[in-house]
Amino acid sequence: MARPEILRASRATGEIPPQSSPAPESGPGLEAEVARYLPQLGRMSEQLKQTSKQIEESVVGVCDSFQGIAARARATVARATGFLSNDEQPASGKQSFEGLIEACSGTLVKIMNTTVEAGEISRRAIERIEDMDTASQQISDALSQLDQITNSNRMLAFNARIEAAHAGNVGMGFAVVAVELAAATVRSRAVTAQVGELALNLRALAESTLQDLRRMNEKDSERVEQCRQEVDASLRDLQAAHSEMVEMLNGMTAEGALLATDIGATVRGLQFQDRISQRIGHVVADLDTLSARLETHVGNVAPGAAPADEGFSAYTMHEEREVAGFGGEEASAGDVELF
Amino acid sequence: MKKVLIVDDSVSMRQMVGFTLREGGFEVIEAEHGQDALDKLKGATVDLVITDLNMPVMDGITLIQNLRAQPAMKTKPILMLTTEGLAGKKEQGKAAGATGWIVKPFDPEKLLQTVAKVLP
Repeated sequence: MARPEILRASRATGEIPPQSSPAPESGPGLEAEVARYLPQLGRMSEQLKQTSKQIEESVVGVCDSFQGIAARARATVARATGFLSNDEQPASGKQSFEGLIEACSGTLVKIMNTTVEAGEISRRAIERIEDMDTASQQISDALSQLDQITNSNRMLAFNARIEAAHAGNVGMGFAVVAVELAAATVRSRAVTAQVGELALNLRALAESTLQDLRRMNEKDSERVEQCRQEVDASLRDLQAAHSEMVEMLNGMTAEGALLATDIGATVRGLQFQDRISQRIGHVVADLDTLSARLETHVGNVAPGAAPADEGFSAYTMHEEREVAGFGGEEASAGDVELF
Repeated sequence: MKKVLIVDDSVSMRQMVGFTLREGGFEVIEAEHGQDALDKLKGATVDLVITDLNMPVMDGITLIQNLRAQPAMKTKPILMLTTEGLAGKKEQGKAAGATGWIVKPFDPEKLLQTVAKVLP
C-alpha cells in the first residue's frame, strides 16, 4: 500500500489517481501502482537538489555580506585611527588631528605673543613720551630762568643808558653798548617766547598722544586677556573633542572585536548549510538508487540507472549514521586532533 | 604573508574558511577538488593545505597522497577539514600524511589557533 505521505505529495501535483481506488497488496497490481509513483521519486530528488543549491547560494550571499561588513568596519577603524594618531600621513600629505591641534595651538600662541609684544612696545612708547614730556617741562623751566636773565639784562641795559647819560661824552661808548644790549635782550625775549610756545605745543601734543596710547594700551590689555581666555577655551574644546573621538575610536575598536566574534559565531552557524547539502546529497543518491531498483522490479529501468544490487550511499555524518542505526566511536563536531 | 590552499567542493565552505583565514592575515588560494588543487599547485608553493575529505573528481585522501609524493610538499602541513569523524577515516588520513583532522563545523578562532600551531 502506498505510504500516506507519498500520496499527499503526489496529490499536490495532481498526478495521482483518486484515493478511492483500492491499492493491491502485492503482485502485478502493486508493480503497476508503484510504477505510477516512480516519476515522483525523480521529482523529489530534483526538488532536494534545487533546495540544496538555493540554500548554498543564500549562505554564499550572507558570507559575502559579512566579508563586506568586516572589511568596511576594518577600513573605518583604520581611517579613524590614522586620523587621530600622532603619526603624519606622508602618503596623503595630510596632518593628523592631534598634529592639527598642536599646529593650531602653536599659531594661537604666536598670535598671543605678538599681541602681548605689541602691548609691550606701546607701553615703552608711553614711557618714552612721558620722558619727552618731562624734558619739555624742563625746557619750559629753563626758558623761565632764561626769561628772568633777559629781564635782568634789560634792567642792566636801562641802568647802563642812564649812567652813560650822566657821564656825558665820556659815557657815549658805554651808551652804544647799552643800546645794543637792550636790543639783544628784546631779540632774546622774542626767541625765548617762541621756544616757550613750541615747548607748550610739544607738551600738548605729547599729552594727547599719551592719552591715546594709554587708552589703546588699556584696550589692548583687555583684548589680550579676552583673546587669551577665548584661545584657552578653544584649545580646551579641541582637546575635549579629540579625547571624545579617541574614546569613540576605542569604543569602535571594542565594537569591532565584538563584531569579529559575532561574525565568527555566524560563520560557525552558517556551516549548517554544508552539512545540510551533504545530507541532502546523500538522500538524493538514495532516492536515485531506490528509483533504479523499483524501476528494475516493475520492468521500466531508466537508462543509466544504478544496478539493483548496488548499495545505498555511505553515510559520512554522525547524525546520518545514528538515524541509520550505525554505531561506533566518533569525534564530535569542532574537535581538532593533531597527529 | 603565509599562503594557504583551501580545497572543498562547497563554495560556501571555501568562502567561510577563506574569510576566516584572510581575517587572520593569510593569503588564500581556493580549489574545488583534489585535481583542481594539484593543478593550482603546479609552479606555485603554499605554506599550508586545508582539504575536505569527500569531493568529486579527487577526494582528500588521494590529494594528500599525491601531495606527499611531491618534494616541495613532503613536509608542509596538511589539515583535513571534514564532517567525517570516524576513527577509521582519521587513521586513513593519518596514514596518507595528514598533519591534523578538524571536524566541521569549525570554530573560526580555533581554526586560526590550529593553523598557527602547524605552521612553522
